[in-house]
Amino acid sequence: MTFNTSFRPGIQILLLLLLASLAAHGQNRFTISGTIKDLSNGETLIGATIFVIENKASGAVTNAYGFYSITLPQGNYHIEYSYMGFERIVKQVDLRGNMALDIALPPLSKVLEEVKIVDESRSSGAKNLEMSVNKLDIKTIQKLPALMGEVDVIKSLQFLPGVSQVGEGSSGFNVRGGSVGQNLVLLDEAPVYNSSHMLGFFSVFNPDAVKDVKLYKGAIPSEFGGRVSSVLDVRLKEGNNKKTEVDGGIGFIFSRLAVQGPLIEDKASYLIAVRRSYVDALSTLLTSNNFGLNFYDVTVKTNYTLNQKNRLYLSGFLGRDNFGLSDDAKFNWGNKSATLRWNSVINSKWFSNVSAVFSNYNYNLGFNEDENNQYDWRSSITNYVLKPDFSYFTGRNSELKFGLESSYYQFNPSTTIGTTNGETVDSSQPKKYALEMAGYISHKVALSSRLELQYGLRFSYFNYLGPGTAYTYNDTIPGRKRTAIAEQHYGSGESIASYSNPEPRISTKYQLDDRTSIKASFSRTAQYVHFISNTSASNPLNIWTPTTNNIKPAVGNQYTLGYFTDLGRDANYEFSAETFYRNTSNEIDYINGAELLNNDRLEGDLLSGKGRAYGLELYLQKKKGLITGWVSYTLSRSELKVDGINKGSWYPTRFDQTHNLKVVGSYTINEKWSTTADFAYMTGTPTTYPNQRYLSQGVLIPYNTNNTRNDARLSAYHRLDLALRMEGRTVRNNGRPRKNKSYWVFSVYNVYGRRNAFSTYFSQSSDRVTALQPIQTQAHRVSIIGSMVPSASYNFKF
Amino acid sequence: MHLPINTRPFWHMAICICAWFCWSCDDEVAIDTGSADPLLNIDAWINNKPEPQRIHLTLSQDYFDNKNLPPVASGAKVKVTDSNGRVYEFVEDATSQTGAYTWQPQNGEVLGSVGTAYTLEVEYHGETFIATSTMKRVPPVDSLTLSFQEGVGMMDDMYRAEFWAKDIAGKGDTYWLRAYKNGRLLNKASEITSAYDAGTSSGSGFDGVTFITPVRMGINANDVDDDDRPTSPLVNGDSVYVELHSINLVAFNYLAEVVSQANRMGGISELFTSAPLANVSTNIVNTNANGSAVVGFFNVAAVSGRGKKFYF
Repeated sequence: MTFNTSFRPGIQILLLLLLASLAAHGQNRFTISGTIKDLSNGETLIGATIFVIENKASGAVTNAYGFYSITLPQGNYHIEYSYMGFERIVKQVDLRGNMALDIALPPLSKVLEEVKIVDESRSSGAKNLEMSVNKLDIKTIQKLPALMGEVDVIKSLQFLPGVSQVGEGSSGFNVRGGSVGQNLVLLDEAPVYNSSHMLGFFSVFNPDAVKDVKLYKGAIPSEFGGRVSSVLDVRLKEGNNKKTEVDGGIGFIFSRLAVQGPLIEDKASYLIAVRRSYVDALSTLLTSNNFGLNFYDVTVKTNYTLNQKNRLYLSGFLGRDNFGLSDDAKFNWGNKSATLRWNSVINSKWFSNVSAVFSNYNYNLGFNEDENNQYDWRSSITNYVLKPDFSYFTGRNSELKFGLESSYYQFNPSTTIGTTNGETVDSSQPKKYALEMAGYISHKVALSSRLELQYGLRFSYFNYLGPGTAYTYNDTIPGRKRTAIAEQHYGSGESIASYSNPEPRISTKYQLDDRTSIKASFSRTAQYVHFISNTSASNPLNIWTPTTNNIKPAVGNQYTLGYFTDLGRDANYEFSAETFYRNTSNEIDYINGAELLNNDRLEGDLLSGKGRAYGLELYLQKKKGLITGWVSYTLSRSELKVDGINKGSWYPTRFDQTHNLKVVGSYTINEKWSTTADFAYMTGTPTTYPNQRYLSQGVLIPYNTNNTRNDARLSAYHRLDLALRMEGRTVRNNGRPRKNKSYWVFSVYNVYGRRNAFSTYFSQSSDRVTALQPIQTQAHRVSIIGSMVPSASYNFKF
Repeated sequence: MHLPINTRPFWHMAICICAWFCWSCDDEVAIDTGSADPLLNIDAWINNKPEPQRIHLTLSQDYFDNKNLPPVASGAKVKVTDSNGRVYEFVEDATSQTGAYTWQPQNGEVLGSVGTAYTLEVEYHGETFIATSTMKRVPPVDSLTLSFQEGVGMMDDMYRAEFWAKDIAGKGDTYWLRAYKNGRLLNKASEITSAYDAGTSSGSGFDGVTFITPVRMGINANDVDDDDRPTSPLVNGDSVYVELHSINLVAFNYLAEVVSQANRMGGISELFTSAPLANVSTNIVNTNANGSAVVGFFNVAAVSGRGKKFYF
């Protein structure tokens, strides 16, 4: 166990502060608590603001379940409830005792939403303690021009500062210089181990079912842990509990349908959303072979209100991609997850949630030439999580959160059964088991009307469990394959290796004036499960592997400093500047020729090193008016230092982008038409060029005499996209409003058809030459989307 | 990536379909990758076939030097010594354009025997380079058969050769399959097929059984037509000769590196198969640790083989 003693004095001070604030109960203070919902469909609103007009320092924000609690001295108050896109409600309250006050906010009508000036400054970034967080509203996501006209949660993250991607078609995303496997992706609290469909062109999140998307890039709250880079918290809708609603869409690639409605009025509702692609049908037409790629997914959610204080939620996801290779080969993969949650309002100051989560990712690959010659290979990661969380609203703008998280993993590197010439061989590898546990406590307090502080500690513990075999590897030249020289077997439940890490988190905000604040944070995060991928883009076969006696947990420290302000007469511009610095230990890299699949000595092919990333993020958003949009610019560097690569010196990661500029603008032309354009510019990602070549048995091999990694760059990436949205008719011929709503989205991706480089590779020409002819070498540039891609989709709601 | 199935036809198809949709594209581009001092390349794959054995010594070239053959490294002293002290001298062939140094067997003589360890020693420009290899065992090739896959859609009819042999029981045998079509060695990077026991990777567990399908079929020519569509590896009357070469485990790992660096299909396959460019390792060392760098590989193989002419 390693406990960093340097944090102890700090922790003591914080504990004193916590006790002091808990003891500071005034006389005759009462609590108002309740849930804020959308009047039209009963969905709880996450992050809605509560503002006390008579007491400017008091305010609250609803949590992930729409619950709020605010404590005030006895008296008469006007309390304002607001949420973006909804009408504001002001309640007059005569506070003489604790009271429950549930609020239902009516959504702004379509016309009002765009024309009426909505005062959102009270929920703006400058007022909120959170930093390094981006919230993407599903309505904003739906406005962005999308590839093939299909709106996508993960693709839209690309327009945020600090988020990048290796290139089109690569699955996952990179946050502040972290790798794809360093993001914790949660779908209703269930970890998603592969967030993409169709090899990365689309993500598993069905936009019809998604309610709220929040990306934590830094200042990660202590309730989250397990990844060093970021947390993407995706929350699903609960299902309309007022009336049955059907949403759907028909696009070039797939169709969507979502049905939601009440099961028992005001007590229970459901949501079922499905998607199915049809590219395979098209390619079957072309090839009449079992060749093609298709996917489907099903997202379901239901909830039941037990009583005023207790509510149950059950959500589930099932998705599968099918890659038809030929008639006798198969390759498919997918996620499944389920989350059961129990919300309880213990009393006006105590809120609790207990979640039980199951998540599984698996793939299956095989061929079946005939019954005597076949092969079947399955691999999976299965995860069970139990997570009780408690919030205590102590009053005086102070909130205490604490909880536990216990996560049990089962890794199945490969279950392989092969038959060759009638003989069957089982060459499955043993499963691996691990337990990850964490306890956390976090306290948010307003120290003065200007200074707010949130501090906390997460203590994580990881145990790599038997049954299993621990290998000891020899030392060799860094970068060479290491071989196991000793092994030790462990019985079921025996601990093979264990680690623990204290993870302090602290963030603070100083309000300079009503519109401007400065924020700073520090967070340490530890990661115990590792994503193994050595290709430019991750692929469905990439596996997750636990920390072992050889693979150490990765630990990251991130420091951030930011300036937030609202500009303009009506504060309709929001500007922020944030800087970050992160260092990580035990980053994984790979020896050349590493065998990542079906290798029980995988650890011998892995290298371990250090990482660092730093940058500046600028963001300017115009929130109101006929023209809205934002400009996001990131200047950053992401590097690794690994013994055995690049002569042991720092080198840029494959996704390092010096400049990353995104501009998004929307214009509402009239009630029928609106348009959105976006432009992206990124520095080309790093690559390595050979400067020499030689022949080995007639095969031409590239060689780099400097023995460097990623010291060259691809050409810059830039792209313009356009989308035009046409609302369907809203009134019938007889002048009455139509019950059904529909709209068309026409979009053009990559308008000027630039062939942006995904990679540059070097190879010999495919011609056969004799030993006495010089081999011809070539450099190739691969563009994943090499042309303009127009598309149209039809969407409806009734 | 050592997949137990051959994904190559799939990528060909994917690349074609993506090109059809004007999605991904693969353009030849001009890049100046600079120039560097050449290094010595020792290409030393010898075996126990009853024929002259050659070791090639050349110098590396600038990557885009497409006009010249690699310069010959002349004037070296090359010998292989076995663990019993027997020395095999490799004599420079002054007329060779490929830097060949040759050992000529006497009548009926072969180089090496299974289980014996060999040391290669090359003296060049005052530096000495050494490497070691042990000749491993090899099973016989039992037969060759024809495999037919009917063409559908954009795929033409495919005729392929398939060989049948059984791995020797006991874990850790590694092989390189070398095939000749109509007498010509198939030596594209995409035609490298290696085996670990009867499977494709160390973890596959196929020990002492018939080689698995992707290995058995991994002896075919890989050619494309003008439209980059794969052509049938065999046409009526073609002959195929397949050789099983026993290789050392380090040679097996070396081939994996070669494949990952040299076998690039391009197009959309870049998404999933592109590992970063890195130098392929070598088992040859300079006895002076601070001396010149060297590339290449030394392996002494036992070889079995069988051929067949295909009529269909």
